[in-house]
Amino acid sequence: MKPSPDLEIKQKLTALLGAEAVSPMTEHGFRGEPWLVLPETEAVLATVLRLAHQNCWRVLPMGAGSKLRWGGLVREVELVVSLARLDPLIEHATGDLTVTVAAGMPLARLQEHLKSAGQFVALDPAYPTTATLGGILATADSGSLRHRYGGVRDLCLGLTVIRADGERAKCGGRVVKNVAGYDLMKLFTGSYGTLGIISQMTLRLYPIPPASQTLCLQGSAANLTQALLAVGNSTLTPSAVDIIANDGLGLALGFQSTPAGVAQQVAQFLSLGQALGLTVKPYTGPEIWQGAERVVCKVGVPVTAAVALAGLVTQLGGVAVLHGGGGMGHIRVMPEIMHLQKLRTFCEGVGGYLSILEAPTTLKETFDVWGYKGNALGLMERIKKQFDPLALLSPGRFVGGI
Amino acid sequence: MTTRDWRPLVREFQQVVGEKGVVWTPEEMLVFECDGLTSYREKPAVVVLPKTTAAVARVIKICHRANVPFVARGSGTGLSGGALPVTDSVLIVTAWMRTILKVDLENQQVVVQPGVINNWVTQAVSGAGFYYAPDPSSQVICSIGGNIAENSGGVHCLKYGVTTNHVLGLKLVLPEGEVVDVGGTLPEMPGYDLTGLFVGSEGTLGIATEITLRILKVPETVQVLLADFTTVAAAAGAVADIIGAGIIPAGMEIMDNLSINAVEDVVATGCYPRDAGAILLVEVDGLAVEVTENSQRIETFLYQNGARSVLTATDPDQRLKLWKGRKAAFAAMGKLSPNYYVQDGVIPRTRLAEVLQEIGRLGEEHGYKVANVFHAGDGNLHPLILYDNAVPGALHAVEELGGEILKLCVRSGGSISGEHGIGAEKRCYMPDMFTPADLETMHWVRQVFDPRNLANPGKLFPTPRTCGEGARTQGREQVKDALLF
Ligand SMILES: Cc1cc2nc3c(=O)[nH]c(=O)nc-3n(C[C@H](O)[C@H](O)[C@H](O)COP(=O)(O)OP(=O)(O)OC[C@H]3O[C@@H](n4cnc5c(N)ncnc54)[C@H](O)[C@@H]3O)c2cc1C
Repeated sequence: MKPSPDLEIKQKLTALLGAEAVSPMTEHGFRGEPWLVLPETEAVLATVLRLAHQNCWRVLPMGAGSKLRWGGLVREVELVVSLARLDPLIEHATGDLTVTVAAGMPLARLQEHLKSAGQFVALDPAYPTTATLGGILATADSGSLRHRYGGVRDLCLGLTVIRADGERAKCGGRVVKNVAGYDLMKLFTGSYGTLGIISQMTLRLYPIPPASQTLCLQGSAANLTQALLAVGNSTLTPSAVDIIANDGLGLALGFQSTPAGVAQQVAQFLSLGQALGLTVKPYTGPEIWQGAERVVCKVGVPVTAAVALAGLVTQLGGVAVLHGGGGMGHIRVMPEIMHLQKLRTFCEGVGGYLSILEAPTTLKETFDVWGYKGNALGLMERIKKQFDPLALLSPGRFVGGI
Repeated sequence: MTTRDWRPLVREFQQVVGEKGVVWTPEEMLVFECDGLTSYREKPAVVVLPKTTAAVARVIKICHRANVPFVARGSGTGLSGGALPVTDSVLIVTAWMRTILKVDLENQQVVVQPGVINNWVTQAVSGAGFYYAPDPSSQVICSIGGNIAENSGGVHCLKYGVTTNHVLGLKLVLPEGEVVDVGGTLPEMPGYDLTGLFVGSEGTLGIATEITLRILKVPETVQVLLADFTTVAAAAGAVADIIGAGIIPAGMEIMDNLSINAVEDVVATGCYPRDAGAILLVEVDGLAVEVTENSQRIETFLYQNGARSVLTATDPDQRLKLWKGRKAAFAAMGKLSPNYYVQDGVIPRTRLAEVLQEIGRLGEEHGYKVANVFHAGDGNLHPLILYDNAVPGALHAVEELGGEILKLCVRSGGSISGEHGIGAEKRCYMPDMFTPADLETMHWVRQVFDPRNLANPGKLFPTPRTCGEGARTQGREQVKDALLF
């Protein structure tokens, strides 16, 4: 049974939402024993946050919970607010290639809907079958498609957030081009629920290309590096450029275009690779998100260092996919601090970074999760303080313990 | 007018940037009185021209200590009064910060000082087959610092995105003189995306002193199609069909009859028929095989929507010829009418035809001619209202009409600015788009970066006054606030 202060929380929430909507958060492994609430409307979400603000309850927002453990260890919270039921499609402006959805909308369901109009959200994030758009936005999670379409930050046109004090605020708009006001979309994208709860968003859409194909080539690290640079210096227009460390090293290019365009690009890439002594490798994306004992990191290194990083990951028995265009990607290794230290040192040595997404709690307790090395932490802390002065939202989850 | 004795501050600035780096005689300051929005003018107290980040930081620290507002200025081509000086302010001009600091072709990025001119970046890397994508029509004169502040667009941003999609990192001097590095050499770094937050902040969050930009490989083939139609609605129909078919061209631009005649008068391209209701320019790029295929499909859509003729060009000189009139459109308006007032509203592109018709009606109602040149692919309109400033009251009337047009854009589900920024000019329309809570949330950011409201005060955020008045006398009250602080 829960102690009485918690019961008081439950009573207050039940009075507002009804008994069904409030339940103990089981199977969470968080410190404290938070209550789980599932608001079904933006207004209710705002009321919950206002109540939390009045009572100083700390809140961890989530979507479907697929990435709840990403980032820093969350300090004790009283409430977990799930947006899983705040999930309607608000507007699909087909001719304008935009869509407005509530944050709890699962990506998979949205893609299914858009498919009938021949359109899609150009994102291929982790946990694609369960992830909600709110969660994807809050973690700025992107995949191979970022090479052509950019990251979440480049696809979000407007947002509505419920602030820590329960006020509803929006920024941006529903059109593809707009510079009115500060670009708070960028501030919220990747803020891990520390500044407010995203309730609604407008995204840019793209037409589903008529043809697509992926070709993966393998070879020595030196030859792969050369191939990667040659691709960057060519007029090929791949939608994905991935360096893959998974049972050896590979360079996988995804092409999306007209059928003739795809065929020609595949042929061109093949001959470019063959000239460098590369051979075809059956394409299998590495299993980043599998494995019982794992540490998954988001990393970034310049393109010129990407193959070397992939090589190091292989040496340490891990797997990696690094998106060659921008040098960002994910790696999975065993929970060995020494290995992580080695990898982080490598990344930082070339001007990049290594941040831990998923790892055992004990490891996160002893190893700096974010690896932020810049000089703007003070500014970030001041922003947090302005947006959430009582530090109620996702406490401890972000850079520098924000 | 100014009551402060500026001499002690001038001496301090001179110690930082040298005597030549400080301008403060009235004659020398004339050119700094306004930006591209020439109907608003205000003299700064002092103009300072630093060369380095350290110098910018010292100048800003002096301003901070003395509680004096400062305004950043790049090339002064902004069209919303962003670089319009504030009364009794220090204007920090980046014209001496024009070094390209680093070119890294392998990692496809460059680092530049803020005063570097937009197309110098492309020139620096074009030999190796690269270019910098955002290409405002002012690209031969506008600065990268100004582009960052306004989040500028260009005719190719339909496919390649606007400035913010091409900025990787920034070195910033914050309004209290602190120097911070945000972002880096990769598209995403740990921590809040302060690079994304700063881009488009119109000089109100500090001054960018080093900018890391992404560069792109020049496409294998580029083709331009120029079609002429009897009506704007028909051209807009073609745009809708092209997008609807899943083709995203690099750019799609429409000009109406008035604009066509203006550019033909001035640059005489000979390829924009004077009797056309509209011309539509479409540029496609990629591999030759893709370009050929997509161009053929586009041509079909053009004819299906009533194009009278379609010209195409792949050769660079020929392409330039087709683009020439579009690029010269704003300049040409200057010949058509003593003055013109450019708007920058955005609407969902599916509503182009109906909104343009309504703009025409509003123009007639107010008794002014409105020419339209616009980024049709992304619904970014540039209605140009033609008027004569010598006629008493004309500017006021034109501003009123401009306001009606912007409100129409908002009602249609769009925005009051697509690329020129809010500046001094459009801030009174912000409440048409944003609620008090929305604006308060934006203001939170402002308070964090600039608690004393010294960086470009009186811009972007609305004050409870009428628009024209707000723009012309802007700043004064903020200065007063600052002194009271
Ligand atoms: C003929 C013409 C055509 C144009 N075409 C386009 C177009 O196609 N697309 C488009 O988007 N715009 C266009 N513009 C508008 C204008 O050129 C852009 O807004 C441009 O980015 C302004 O650059 P600038 O260097 O002139 O900046 P300025 O006008 O000097 O300043 C603009 C703003 O930037 C701030 N600022 C300047 N430097 C810095 C810095 N280093 N750090 C922080 N803030 C800074 C200033 O305070 C001000 O608020 C056009 C203008 C003209 C006159």
